[in-house]
Amino acid sequence: MKRKVVVTGMGVISSLGNNLNENHQSLRNALSGIGKADFFESAYVATLPFAEINASDEQLRIKVPNAANPSYTRTTLIALHAVLEAIQDAQLTTEQLQSNRTAFISSSTVGGMCYTDSLYNDANDNGNPSPYVTSYEGSDHTVRIALYFGLTGYTDTINTACSSSANAIMQGMRLIQTGRADRVIVGGADCLAKYTVNGFNALRILSESPCKPFDQNRDGLTLGEAAAYLVLEAEECSIGKRKWAEVSGAGNANDAYHPSATSDDARGPVLAMTRALDNAGLRPDQIAYINAHGTGTENNDRTECVGFQRVFGTPPAFNSTKSYTGHTLGAAGSLEAVFTILSIANQEVYASLNCEHPQAEFAFQPARSHIQVLPIAHAMSNSFGFGGNCTSLIFSACS
Amino acid sequence: MFVKAAKAISPQYTLDDRFLNGEFVDEVSPVYRAIEPDYSPLIPAGLLRRMGKAVRIGIGAGLPLLQEAGKVDGIILGTANGGLEDCVKFLNQIVEYDEGVLTPTNFVQSTPNAVAGQLALMSENTGYNSTHVNGSLSFENSLIDAAMLLEEKQQATILVGAIEEFSQYNYTIDKHAGRFREIPVSNSQLTKRLEPGSICGEGSSMFIVSNDATDAQVEIIDVAQVTSEDEKEVEATLIDFLIRNQVPADEVKTVALGRNGDARTDHFYTAISNRLTSIESTICFKAYCGEYRTAAAFGLYTLFQLSKHPLLDWNGNQLHFIGNYALVYNHFDGIRHGYILVKKLR
Repeated sequence: MKRKVVVTGMGVISSLGNNLNENHQSLRNALSGIGKADFFESAYVATLPFAEINASDEQLRIKVPNAANPSYTRTTLIALHAVLEAIQDAQLTTEQLQSNRTAFISSSTVGGMCYTDSLYNDANDNGNPSPYVTSYEGSDHTVRIALYFGLTGYTDTINTACSSSANAIMQGMRLIQTGRADRVIVGGADCLAKYTVNGFNALRILSESPCKPFDQNRDGLTLGEAAAYLVLEAEECSIGKRKWAEVSGAGNANDAYHPSATSDDARGPVLAMTRALDNAGLRPDQIAYINAHGTGTENNDRTECVGFQRVFGTPPAFNSTKSYTGHTLGAAGSLEAVFTILSIANQEVYASLNCEHPQAEFAFQPARSHIQVLPIAHAMSNSFGFGGNCTSLIFSACS
Repeated sequence: MFVKAAKAISPQYTLDDRFLNGEFVDEVSPVYRAIEPDYSPLIPAGLLRRMGKAVRIGIGAGLPLLQEAGKVDGIILGTANGGLEDCVKFLNQIVEYDEGVLTPTNFVQSTPNAVAGQLALMSENTGYNSTHVNGSLSFENSLIDAAMLLEEKQQATILVGAIEEFSQYNYTIDKHAGRFREIPVSNSQLTKRLEPGSICGEGSSMFIVSNDATDAQVEIIDVAQVTSEDEKEVEATLIDFLIRNQVPADEVKTVALGRNGDARTDHFYTAISNRLTSIESTICFKAYCGEYRTAAAFGLYTLFQLSKHPLLDWNGNQLHFIGNYALVYNHFDGIRHGYILVKKLR
């Protein structure tokens, strides 16, 4: 018998706000976080919209207690910010936090390489080393957070591109289910960086206007930044606590089609969704809501809808919250898991923004206005990434 | 979890019998570079040209194993940095062309999950696929991931491994951070003369693991890790780990240690050796492969080989897998420590 895994804490910082409540209010009021970036330095700030966290590095350094370390990157700062909120929300004691039965699984794509110019100088031996010379690893923020809190348990960092933090959640669920941990802090953090902006621009998949997921005239994604973490606990360790939701299933598959595009027949997404359903022991018709990957690229949104058709026939209510937060890459899976859980907890589906003309080739469309009707017993969250990495998660209401 | 097969691309001749026969590369060098095979039977020329080294050495060791294994249920890899050469090449373009119009090849190749993704693509494998980028613990994380997948499925076979490439860029960064020596030293002398810093290496070590013991020589019992700069905590983690697995410390007679000649952090290896009171066979695997974050995978590779036949040390003496149990212990910067407990089956 697998141990039941419940979510007892959530913490988030994104372009929608600096905490869980601010994010929730923005979603409820259909207020997008996409606009002109104020802090990110790039030539593209003049021409492209971004979904930026409303705080400079210096402001973040002050907001987070004891974060004056000059080697802390923006990735580490936003991750710390969200982890602190999640830990407080779950009311974890210092003893629980530092127990070797508590694990920490983070994820990021940019990781410690968020300051492109410093990395350029350090890698090419130009001048004196920058304060970030020991911070470039993908797992830099993970080690610093482990040392910050004095974590002694299992740590991991995952990078499966845009599905990274969905896999972090899956990994955490399995650690608890198999008895390797009692509590796991899971999530991801990614900040705006010239590296990813120029990379996605070179692939010609950035939109010059705020992304339009599932719209007929969508023309690319909008990049954003966020950190989102969840505290997962074995049910028997969570007695007396508020349980946000149960992590009831997860499915991981590779599309095995192309390094940076999804297959026409959506085989990877279909396998991820069906494996998640099998893992949760649920039928497709028991899913009441899907938080779609929905990037707003021509390729993704079409493939995802083909996948919906193949798995669900007609899918339940779905949206893309990337229309609020942009694509936050390594943080997207956990950010959208938090939003999915907010939907379950509040029995509401947030309006999918910017879908004025739904795709003509499909008989279904995303929720285009806020829906407050649903008892959502079970909800799915999808994440698909470069390298063919597809992961679907299923969260269920706690009775 | 049983190890069915292994393959490594390393600074030694590990793709043929020379390494096993004691024909070692022993050169005074600032970097121990991987000896790459002729990839033409494996990788189409057009594809090969676009591949960075991390992807190339990952395919070179992983794809033959996938082909031999037939259907596998998952591909799980660990790499601290992925394709850093491509990453910095792309970054150089960003800065030098002032964020102008760039080609995406380096960007796509540099993502750490490109290796597992490319292996899935080339072997048409839609199974479980994951990439751990947890620095020097990435391989240990991959093993835990594989162990969980095997527990969840009744019958399964998985490709698990680790890749790290040398690039001038990461070398420069790590040298700034004081990780590498100013004066080069040969492989055979690396762990004999302790000085601050080590010598950079690289490589890819891949394994087919399964919950089927047929024909397997080696079982991976369990994996542990700790993030700590405190020697006592590092020792306590080992003791807890052995107790949890019901293996008495004096039954671990063979160890693969990540000793890298760095005078500042060598004491952790001494402490762990002292805790295992009955060691009869020690292999210092970084003398063969150099220091890189996921070198522990090469440590497991040496134990896998040792379970089948003796290896030679640098003095020409035979090293054996003595006793039933062996431990791979490795740390990086004295902060992250990984432990892999191995059992010899026959």
